[in-house]
Amino acid sequence: MVNPFALAYREQQQLFLFDKTYIWGTFLKVGGLATLLARFIVQFFWNPTIALILTLLLLALSVWMTWVFARESRKDWKILPLCLVPAVMLGASLADNRIHFEYLTAFMLAQAGLVAYKNICSRRILWGVIITIVLYFTAGPAAILFAVCAALRPSEKHPAERAVVFLSTAAACGLIACLTAAVPTWADAFTPAFYFDLDAGSPAFHWAAWIALPVSLLLRVLIRSVRLNRWIAFVSGLALAALALIPAERFSNRIEQEQPSLAYIFEYYTNNEDWDGLIKACEKAPWLPRTANYLNMALSRKGELAERLLDYNQRGADALVMVTRDRAVDVAQAHIMMAMGNVAAAQDVAFNALYSLNGYCPAMVKINAQVELMRGSYEVADKYLSLLEKAPRYRKWARDHRSFLHDDAAVEADPILGNGRRNLSAKNAFVMFTNPMSELFPILDANPSDKRALEYGLCYLLLAKDLNSVKHFITDYYSSPDSLELPRIAQEAMVFYSEYSRNMEGVEPFGMDWCYEHGVQPETVARFEEYQKAAVAGPVSLKRFRGTYWYYLIHTEI
Amino acid sequence: MMNRVFMILAAALTMVSCSGRPESATPIDEEAPIFPDYREVTVPSNIAPLNFSFLGEGRAVLLVCGEVVRERSGVFRFSSRGWKRLLSKRGEDGSVEFTIFTNKDGKWLSYNPFRIYISPDPIDPWFSYRLIPPGYQGWQEMGIYQRDLESYSEKTIMRNDLTGGNCLNCHTYRDGDPSKMVFHARSSFGGTVVVNEGKIEKLNTKTDSTISALVYPFWHPSGEYIAFSVNKTLQAFHNHDANRIEVYDEASDVVVYNVRTHEIAWSPLTKAEDRFETFPTFSPDGKWLYFCSAEAVGPMPDKYKEARYGLYRIAFNPGDMSFGDSLECVYDAPAEGASVSFPRVSPDGRFLCFTRHGYGNFSIWHKDADLWMVDLSDGSVRPMEGVNSSDVESFHTWSSDGKWLVFSSRRDDGLYTKPYFTHIDAEGHATKPFLLPQKDPTRYYKRLMKSYNLPAFTTGKVSVSKRGLTDVLRKSPGTDVGVKE
Repeated sequence: MVNPFALAYREQQQLFLFDKTYIWGTFLKVGGLATLLARFIVQFFWNPTIALILTLLLLALSVWMTWVFARESRKDWKILPLCLVPAVMLGASLADNRIHFEYLTAFMLAQAGLVAYKNICSRRILWGVIITIVLYFTAGPAAILFAVCAALRPSEKHPAERAVVFLSTAAACGLIACLTAAVPTWADAFTPAFYFDLDAGSPAFHWAAWIALPVSLLLRVLIRSVRLNRWIAFVSGLALAALALIPAERFSNRIEQEQPSLAYIFEYYTNNEDWDGLIKACEKAPWLPRTANYLNMALSRKGELAERLLDYNQRGADALVMVTRDRAVDVAQAHIMMAMGNVAAAQDVAFNALYSLNGYCPAMVKINAQVELMRGSYEVADKYLSLLEKAPRYRKWARDHRSFLHDDAAVEADPILGNGRRNLSAKNAFVMFTNPMSELFPILDANPSDKRALEYGLCYLLLAKDLNSVKHFITDYYSSPDSLELPRIAQEAMVFYSEYSRNMEGVEPFGMDWCYEHGVQPETVARFEEYQKAAVAGPVSLKRFRGTYWYYLIHTEI
Repeated sequence: MMNRVFMILAAALTMVSCSGRPESATPIDEEAPIFPDYREVTVPSNIAPLNFSFLGEGRAVLLVCGEVVRERSGVFRFSSRGWKRLLSKRGEDGSVEFTIFTNKDGKWLSYNPFRIYISPDPIDPWFSYRLIPPGYQGWQEMGIYQRDLESYSEKTIMRNDLTGGNCLNCHTYRDGDPSKMVFHARSSFGGTVVVNEGKIEKLNTKTDSTISALVYPFWHPSGEYIAFSVNKTLQAFHNHDANRIEVYDEASDVVVYNVRTHEIAWSPLTKAEDRFETFPTFSPDGKWLYFCSAEAVGPMPDKYKEARYGLYRIAFNPGDMSFGDSLECVYDAPAEGASVSFPRVSPDGRFLCFTRHGYGNFSIWHKDADLWMVDLSDGSVRPMEGVNSSDVESFHTWSSDGKWLVFSSRRDDGLYTKPYFTHIDAEGHATKPFLLPQKDPTRYYKRLMKSYNLPAFTTGKVSVSKRGLTDVLRKSPGTDVGVKE
């Protein structure tokens, strides 16, 4: 129901800072304590398993608090299944990444308020009012949940009057919050929309847990009043919890359609630099452009892009980098541009994607810090590093990078930062005004030693089936004695092009001598002869040539 | 030199040896490394205490007016009362001397003393600004805030989370009057908001006759009109240039809006086909409309470096909202291979301060952008000595009495804009600017991940309610702006 990778992605939508100003500033907002608790917990979500376990523990705690409030004695286990229902709804809501995690922590603070209220023996109305007020300003409109549910306490006297008092108190708090513009709208002041992304139109499902809690408590009152057999009550509760799974599952599925979890999976492996994990995750659908982008980035990070490119079903140059119209929030593109060596384009995205749903996006802050170090803008880099140092997960990374501040020699000697700095010495142009290759050429001119940029460039032209440009590219970047070995697929492309250049109009014919001079191996030529025979023999014979450039060229539509 | 040694020794000897005070100190001929750099600045007497940090090594104490101030959490802090007491002890030249002592290897060393000059001219008590991440497409939070310059108190005028996280920009006041304000909100819940003595109005400012909604406002001194530009603005990120971002216009014109009739009007000379006109501003007598104008170039962005704006003015008749029939060139910057932006005339009408840079009009992203001044009495143009740095100086506004100027600068880190204040004398000369004081400036500015944008003085606190602004932007359909026949 809840994708652990979607939960883990929440960690990238915030940066909890151990900083007095940050903590105090967050706390002082309406719902501030719930927000702080949520962000504190979510900072540990960097691993999907931990994210899932922590979420399940919180949901279990929520079930326990519902039970503690609803039970008459510790032996009142028959109502336990009934207490599962709100937690099921809460869990399903969390599948939606647009709902903030404080939706859960605020809910639990309201439950904690209920447990505390239950144990108060005197001046209960006064305490109920105090709890409502404190809850409103620490947890937001979840205080309304408290106000509704407190009156449903077992053996509560005058529940209707108390509900009116508590609800009036909560309403007054909401009114103040709204009139002072502490919250944007009335809906934010009084409904779960408060915990949803700004004005994004909260789905009605996020009411489910809010409705399920008082309904469960009402059912508890009903069970008590009709003196239902404990086993019947238990089984009925279980059945209800099972029934609750149906809408919960439907909602989760709807969210999966709207927010495909693949992106979360890809980002998880990327941010953890687990390239094998990323390749494995991408293998499920490599024909999708964005999946192919991640796959090829992982191959590139492993130094295997050209070597393994055609092991997968690639379709055109978009498979390497798909440039979306709105790059401001496209964090994937920042990672891909970094891998390509186009650090300026990476920063263009990272600069604008610095802020995520709940604060800084750690991955984008890291990219910005790196690029500022590459640029030699040490004061700005220092700002980003200082920020990351306040987050335990990123402290070590930041401290390690602090040693580069104001030390040009260290930056230039570092494989990543030094390479990036050399790439930045390319001639100035606007980022992504034409196509990725128009920026790669000057980068390669400035830093021909960037193997990843070189492979990206070569593979881009190969996937685009632009053989003439491939030939020029090889001439420019693979001709000197200290050039890298020409990748197999490029050899295949050139052998093919050489053969067919003789019959192509407008193409200057070139022979095998040129190919041999530019890194084509005799084995490739021999295999091409075999390929030609297989092509004559028919499609079955060609199967063994899958993964060759010849097969891609002839049989893949782009 | 010997006098100085004696003075320092005498001052040091007055200190009691217990509690870590220096008994004697050896002068070192070095400037004290402090942040913010308040050495030799001129400040108004009603400014909040100028707390600062010593950035050198070792424990430091400060001697000022015979009082010893010790660092607290790395900051020399002054209470409001203590600060006023210090300022009241200023010498005949209006200055207060500060000397920093530092303890190195058990020895006290004293840096060269520095002075802070106290101007008899008070500064407007409030100023407002937008706090925005310095990116240009993505932001999560931004808002328009105001700061009490006599304390550290900051209040929110408007936050974008109240209107769906949209962009809020171009807040402007009529001669610093906090009751007359205009700003824009973009995308969802967008519109131009005019606050006029308690009344909040939303305008839909795109017309069929103009190329965009209204941008870059400036109030007429009568409060009856607001000059705007209309701009087709685009922006792009440089691959590798000291100026990271380029903001450029593909077209732009200048129009004037009538607050009462909700109509705009223009002159063919402010809306010429073959020119880009932008950044309008009225003269204090309201009879002239100044603006920047460049020969239209294209295609953009290829020719972005060829767009060079000069400073022009046209007569404006507030009686019937009409324009003169000729343009007057105030400063032909393109003839000098330069471009101008953000003209602002001093309240006495004598000086016009503008930003000068190599090309284009969006100076905040141009490292070479500096503040210049035109003396309108004789037409002479000069850079503002002592104000400019090697990085960006840009958007500026005059205080209501014309004695102070606030401007944005990227001099500290090259990216995050901060507000600096400078005193302007009767001849238009500026003093060394000082950074907006904070309780703990080093920590505050290092932690700040937003730029101070569009600093503007106000003579009082802006009291329009956030709820009112939110409701108008969210609920009001807005008044359509028409075109004067």
